[in-house]
This record gives sequence, structure tokens and C-alpha cells, in this order.
Amino acid sequence: MLEVRNLTRIYRMGSVQVAALNNVSFTVPEGYVVCVTGRSGSGKSTMLRQLGLLDYPTSGQIYFNGQEVTRLSGSARARLRLAYLGYVFQEFALLYELTALENVFLPGMMLGKRGVDYKKRAKELLEVVGLGTRCNHRPRELSGGEQQRVAIARALINQPRILFADEPCANLDTVSSQVVMETIVRLNRELNLTVVFVSHEPSDVKYATAHLELSDGRLVFNSLDREV
Amino acid sequence: MNSLKVAVFLSMRSIVRSNLGVTFLTIAMLVLANLNLNFVSGLMDGIIDSANEKLIATYSSDIVIEPAGKNYFIRNARDLVKQIEAVDGVVAATYRNSLGAELSFNDYRVNTVVRAIIPEQDKRVFNIADAVYEGSYLDDRDTDQIFLGIQLAGADRSDLELFSSSLRSVHAGDKITVSYANGVIKKYTVKGVFYTEFIQTDIQAFVTERELRSVYPLANDQASVIYVKTRPDISMDSIIQSISRLRSGLQFKTWEDTAGLVSSMTESFAIIQSILMIVNMLIAGITVFIVTYIDLTQKRRQIGIERAIGITSSAISMSYLLRAVFYAVIAIISAYFLYQYGVIPLEARYPFHFPFGDVVLSMGRTQLIRSALIIAGVSAIAALLPVWQTLRIRILDAIWG
Repeated sequence: MLEVRNLTRIYRMGSVQVAALNNVSFTVPEGYVVCVTGRSGSGKSTMLRQLGLLDYPTSGQIYFNGQEVTRLSGSARARLRLAYLGYVFQEFALLYELTALENVFLPGMMLGKRGVDYKKRAKELLEVVGLGTRCNHRPRELSGGEQQRVAIARALINQPRILFADEPCANLDTVSSQVVMETIVRLNRELNLTVVFVSHEPSDVKYATAHLELSDGRLVFNSLDREV
Repeated sequence: MNSLKVAVFLSMRSIVRSNLGVTFLTIAMLVLANLNLNFVSGLMDGIIDSANEKLIATYSSDIVIEPAGKNYFIRNARDLVKQIEAVDGVVAATYRNSLGAELSFNDYRVNTVVRAIIPEQDKRVFNIADAVYEGSYLDDRDTDQIFLGIQLAGADRSDLELFSSSLRSVHAGDKITVSYANGVIKKYTVKGVFYTEFIQTDIQAFVTERELRSVYPLANDQASVIYVKTRPDISMDSIIQSISRLRSGLQFKTWEDTAGLVSSMTESFAIIQSILMIVNMLIAGITVFIVTYIDLTQKRRQIGIERAIGITSSAISMSYLLRAVFYAVIAIISAYFLYQYGVIPLEARYPFHFPFGDVVLSMGRTQLIRSALIIAGVSAIAALLPVWQTLRIRILDAIWG
């Protein structure tokens, strides 16, 4: 499903080079929920941004279903993000001029799949994440947990093959965090959705079927190796 | 197609739900910029139109006919004027004769040309009769009476441009002495003083044709010049062609050929207008750009999010372009109504006064379209530049800065 080979991301700040991600390799089979943990600054979010095609790695390769996507053009990456990948940001990243429903159906409208009623699907997804009654609320009228669930619904509107979630509970209280994580796990079960999520909470590993741990940009633990 | 659909959707939502204050400010800036463009252009056009109208109505008429070659007069002038008036497109025609003279009053003397007119006929071509400042206009049967321009009479108006070279204090009813170039010296009663506010006309002196015949019998039925007033909807060239077929030995000038000082003045105004248009366009452009740029810079994160969730760059650009065009259209329509039903009536009530009279703001279609296109273009560029800038940077930088 997802294969990463020797992924490296170096940030240059003047004459100083910082390897935020250093030679990371792993493979995620379809339907897995992978939890990426590590201390702050270990390279978790950097790695997820490379996988989510929001950034270009310095070296290494990323494969989706055997096809290399590392060096695709900006527009090809945009198409991939739209049609095959879902991405949930740590800070929700909702469009504040749109309602919850509009935020969710916008990528559907952009993809414009024939025969797909994206508004109906957006409503269904908001029901799935428990926000069926909050469709017409704007983000500022929703709690942090609700906004994150809207972001999850948005990430799923085009039925992606893989969902990336960057510390989806970082800005949430305990109850909201639990609801969000349970929602992600439920979607994995119901839709056979592959999920890679980043967490700074080691306890979140309980929601995952596999575990990766990063330290100083290097992969120091990979439960997938054993399972694969 | 999907990009367009998304662009329309995003722009509509943005218009409906964006900050009302920012929206109002953006539109208000566009309205002011558009009004400024219309006003300056309208004022300059108004000045030029006003000067030209005054020139035609008091000095040159539309077509001036003079004897060609070595002829000093047009003979059988009365018949020719009747024939000219029968030409399609001619409203009226009149002829004048002139004789050099020196006017004197008390110790003041002025050299000028005394023009002989048939007052009722002349009134059909020129509106000098409507510009009586003192006394009254001439009558066809008047003799021993003269009708003076205020720049000749002076009329104790020291504020006049040519007061220092005038007769200073001549008023209606005063008697002045006219020494003609043919040696005849005669006293005239000033029947009236006129003030058209067009200097070239206001330095003229008129007597009746009947009066000139008495001092210069050779002038009978002869004209030194014929003036023709035409209908604006008929081409002057075709009228000139028709008149030239009536008689040979005539030379024709249009009002533009006789404009002289007015022509150089209107040309200068046209140049000033072009310069001001460019300056105003730049001011409008920069102002609109700043307002739109600040608004869009704050939307950098939003653009980053849109890109991150897969919205194409073309859809994002188009959405901001549509929004900018929408604001521009609202501003253009508002500015049109404000200008047409606010500024123009107000200016007409309190007109700007220029040396050739009051100036009314003009409202040409070309001028309106030009201003509208400038505003729309500037708005589009002001919207697209920051969007393109944001689209060129990394998605993550757009979202998190």
C-alpha cells in the first residue's frame, strides 16, 4: 500500500543543515492503522508531510501501490492528494468562511466524480463522525474536537485509500481526543481505510495495529517489520 | 469545469461571508478611484466642450466661408446666404462685413474692427444677443448705434482680462467716437454692451449692415465672411461640398480651423487630461492594490489549506479573480450612479467658473468605459498578484508562515 525507502528531509538554515528525517524506510500494508510516536522534534510531522505530499523530501522514495510519487509535479501531487489521500492537520485547518458541510464537500466538488452526490456524501460523513446536526455551523461555532472531526470527514470525502493524521488530538481535551481516535479506528474498520497517524502520546499506540517510533529523525522502532 | 465550479462557489461564499468592513472598504476605495477617474476626465472634457461650444456659438459658427484668392468680398451675399440656408443640414447662415476703426471715449482709444451684421439674421447663427450685459441688442433698422463687447467697453469692470486696453468706463447710452479706416469719423450711441465670457468675441464691435452702408457704401450686398450653423447629425464635409457647388471662389473653414487660441488651449487641456488620467490610474491602481493585497495576505493560510486539500491553483486564482471582478462591478455601477445623479447635478448647481464661462461636467460613454476597464483591470491584477505569490510558495509555508 505505502512504501517508504531511505526518506530524508534536510532543512537548510543558512550554513547549518538539520536532518529532520534521516534515511527512514518502512512499508505499510493496506488496512493498517499505524501510530508514529516520538519526542517533540523527532521528525514525526516532517515525515507525515512528506507522505501526505505536502512537501518534497531531500532524498528517498515514496510509493503508493507500487508507483513512485516522490517527484511528481505540483499539479499531479494536488490530484493525488485530492483523489487518493486524506490529510488531517494538527490545527484542524478548516476554511473559516465555509460551514462544516461546505468544508467537507469542497474536495468532492473539486474532484467532481461522475454520479457521486458529494453533498449527500458529506452529510453522511458528518453523521458518521457524529456531527449530523452541526452541518450548517461555521468552524468558529464548533468546539476543537468537533472541528477536528469535520477535518476527518473532509479528509474522507473522496474515499481516499490512505488517511494521514498529524497529531489529531494535540489541541483537544481528553474526552474529545478519545472521540476523535475512536472515530478514526471505526472508519478503519468500516471502510478498510489505511491510517497513519502521529501522536506524542505513547498511550495512543493502543488504537493502532502497528507502531513506528522516531528519534532525531531516525526510525528507532518499527513493529511493521515483524508483521510484514 | 470543476475548477470553475469550485471557483464560483468559493468566491460567492467569500463575498457573502467575508468581513463586512473590509468588503465595504474595498468597494468604497474602488468607487472613489472610479469617481476620481470620471471626475477629472469629465471636468477636462467639460472644459474643452465648453470652450468649443462658446467658440461656435459666439465667434466662428460651424462653418466659416471667406472669399478665395485675391477677392476681398463675397458678392451678392444675400442671395448666397438664402441658397446656403436651403442646403440640407444647414440650420441658418448669416453674413458680415467689416471695416477697421479706432474707437475713442474720453482719453482712451482702442483699435478694432467694426463688424456689420443683420441683427435678426445674425441671431439665428450666434447667441451674442443672449449675452447682453447692459442696454439692448441691435435692431435691423438701427443707425448711429453700436453694440460693444465688454472687453472693448471696459464698463468699469477692472477685473476684466483686457480692461487696461479697453475704453475703461463705457456703458450703454454713452457716446463714443469711431474713426473708420476709410476716413469717416462718426459718433455712436452705445446701444448695448455684451459679455459672452469668450474673450475673442468680447473684443468685437457691431453695427447694423444698414449703418455700415451709410459710412461705407461699397459694402452693399457684399460680405467679408459668411457664417453657417449646421445640424450636428450631418457631416460638415458633405455640407461644405454642397455649398461649394453653389458658387466658385469661396474658401471654407470649419470651427476647428478658426479656433486659434482655443485650439491650443484645448490641446493643452487634452494633454493635461492624459497626464492626470495616467496619474489617477496609478493612484487608483496602487490604492486598490494595497487594500486588496492586505486583505489577501491575511488569506494566505486559507489559500494554503485550499491547496493542501487538493483545490487546484487555477480554481483558487479564479475564485479571487471572480471576487475582485464582482467588487469592481459593484464599484463601477455605484460610481456611475453617484457621478450621474450626485456629482453632475451638484456641479451643475454650483458650476466651476472658467474665463470662457461655466463648465459642466461631461459624461462620455468612451470615458465611462475607459474608467470602468481601468478599475476592473487594476482590481484583477491587485487580486491575482498576491494569490500567485502565495501559490508559488510551499504549501506548509502558506499555512504556517
